Amino acid sequence: MSGANAANGYLVEVRDLRKHFPVRAGVFSRLRGWLRAVDGVSLGVGAGETVGLVGESGCGKTTLGRTILRLLEPTTGDILFAGRSILPLHGTELRALRRDMQIIFQDPYGSLNPRMTVARIVGEPFAVHRVARGRERRRLVTQLLERVGLEPEALDRYPHEFSGGQRQRIGIARAIALAPKFIVCDEPVSSLDVSIQAQILNLLEDLQEEFGLSYLFIAHDLRVVAHISQRVAVMYLGRIVELAPRRELYQSPLHPYTRALLAAIPTIDPVSRRPKLRLPGDVPSPVNPPPGCPFHPRCPVAEPACQETEPKLTEVSPGHFVACFVAVRSPEG
Amino acid sequence: MAGERQTGAGRAAPGGDGLLQVEELRTYFDTDEGTARAVDGVSFRVSRGRTLGLVGESGCGKSVTALSILRLVPSPPGRIASGRILFEGRDLVTLSNEEMRQVRGNRIAMVFQEPMTSLNPVFTIGSQVSEALLFHRKVTKAEARAETVELLRRVHLPAPEERADAYPHQLSGGMKQRAMIAMALACRPDLLIADEPTTALDVTVAAQILDLLKELQADFGMSVLLITHDMGVVAETTDEVAVMYAGHLVESGSTPALFTRPLHPYTIGLFRSLPTLGAEQRRLAAIPGTVPSPLRFPAGCRFHPRCFLSRGRGRCREEEPEFRALVPPGGAEPPHLSRCHFAEEAAEVEVEL
Repeated sequence: MSGANAANGYLVEVRDLRKHFPVRAGVFSRLRGWLRAVDGVSLGVGAGETVGLVGESGCGKTTLGRTILRLLEPTTGDILFAGRSILPLHGTELRALRRDMQIIFQDPYGSLNPRMTVARIVGEPFAVHRVARGRERRRLVTQLLERVGLEPEALDRYPHEFSGGQRQRIGIARAIALAPKFIVCDEPVSSLDVSIQAQILNLLEDLQEEFGLSYLFIAHDLRVVAHISQRVAVMYLGRIVELAPRRELYQSPLHPYTRALLAAIPTIDPVSRRPKLRLPGDVPSPVNPPPGCPFHPRCPVAEPACQETEPKLTEVSPGHFVACFVAVRSPEG
Repeated sequence: MAGERQTGAGRAAPGGDGLLQVEELRTYFDTDEGTARAVDGVSFRVSRGRTLGLVGESGCGKSVTALSILRLVPSPPGRIASGRILFEGRDLVTLSNEEMRQVRGNRIAMVFQEPMTSLNPVFTIGSQVSEALLFHRKVTKAEARAETVELLRRVHLPAPEERADAYPHQLSGGMKQRAMIAMALACRPDLLIADEPTTALDVTVAAQILDLLKELQADFGMSVLLITHDMGVVAETTDEVAVMYAGHLVESGSTPALFTRPLHPYTIGLFRSLPTLGAEQRRLAAIPGTVPSPLRFPAGCRFHPRCFLSRGRGRCREEEPEFRALVPPGGAEPPHLSRCHFAEEAAEVEVEL
């Protein structure tokens, strides 16, 4: 669709990906409609690159991350890893792919089995993929824990004995155990305090440099995303509405939604308080998205055409894409 | 230890405009593992018509402070061990439960983080807003209904007549928080305590709610105690700020002063761990380690094991620093206080925001 796949050589690439969930209701579970969580997304992540994915709740960013890993099956579209479609893979091949593509979850409480010791949690990938066992496995796990900043004493303890930040370190150790090439980081620091958040962001950056990892970094906090990403994609109701290099995105945002997101971030400067652009209303439900541009009911610059036709993601300057009629016409804003 | 009142904010209380004055508050929880000193000697003042931000990370004691003011600490295991909470000159700690009920929801109201869990799912929005009116004021049901619709309009809830008959699950997160605020405002409180009012909301909706709180405060002239972990929220909405760490305040002052020149290494650390939208992608200066457990605070300065300024200095390990004024109080400004032996050095540290 867009220039997202114009440049080849992406490690991971999705093409016009859609993930729709059936919405059923009533005694007979009749089909009442479709929740279009991801609705035509094309995006690539280069080797060693971090692409940020930002948006509010219900925009489909988490579903997109999980569909890329085939934790959810896409409705239509294609997913490529190293140039090869991963959709036909199953069984052993799919399991082999899991060594290369991993995920770190938001909730370090819910994503670790409370009845397993840290040694078992972090060692599980070695067991599943029959990489190492016994003493050798324990040695590898100890090394991993050390790498993410945990003491060897952690080995025989249980998740509840750790703080939120330490639990996230355990989740990271598990994700990097089999030396993956690509990791979906799904809100990895959202539930952490700022001081701990900074520790984890630094750790993720160090690991990326050391192992040449690629990240798809999903978050609702634009500050965090802009900090860690080279490119940032903004999602709204299942679509990417803007995609740009980080610096360009916050210095010259084009989509009215991106501008509103940036304006909503409180400035850390009590001296220069000023009235800001505010979006009216709430994020609409993806079950019955508005026709035309999905953003038009909240948009401050919407035109009659926006209610009828959906704008396509269009490249307005090298690497900067936006899906907005008004922004494409006058990219200076 | 309990009962001593020597620290800055407690002492610097000329009264007059102090609506709420918390003095050396200690709220403890008795657990199997010992006494958790959740709030351990906190003193601050909220002036009339002003907003004080109480900021800190999880487990620092900021929410327990709020619950103590409203006398909502679950007991047992919790108890207010010592200290005074003066509200319009009356000590809330000594009030009977009946007297406290006349204050709570009436003179002091609260907005919580989770609008979903604080609204009763089986009652309509309207009946929950009217409840406070019917309880605290002599009004008829019809009058309460009319006033409720007016309140819902006041918090910019669209179609207030219809929303009054809606149940909480029929409202979005932002609308629920607006309804909560309408409930809190029902009796025109003098003090509104807002505990992380925007944390559970999407960014664009959170911004709307903060704007609303500012607007209502200006219109109603109430005081606000805003509890948050977000330095951005503090910068945008407060007049004064108190930074809490490990059960007590480590720094307080006017918001511009504290953001221009933080005087405690913990505050500096919080600023430095914030990712910014700046042009350069610099490495974040994280605060090492974790928040200590209220069962076992470190000896000496409670922040010293994580402090970049302490670097193993004996005084930090052995002697608990006083909460002292560094910039002499002048005029209407609240004094700028810091609980650091080396606050003068902290003042020299360059902080980029």
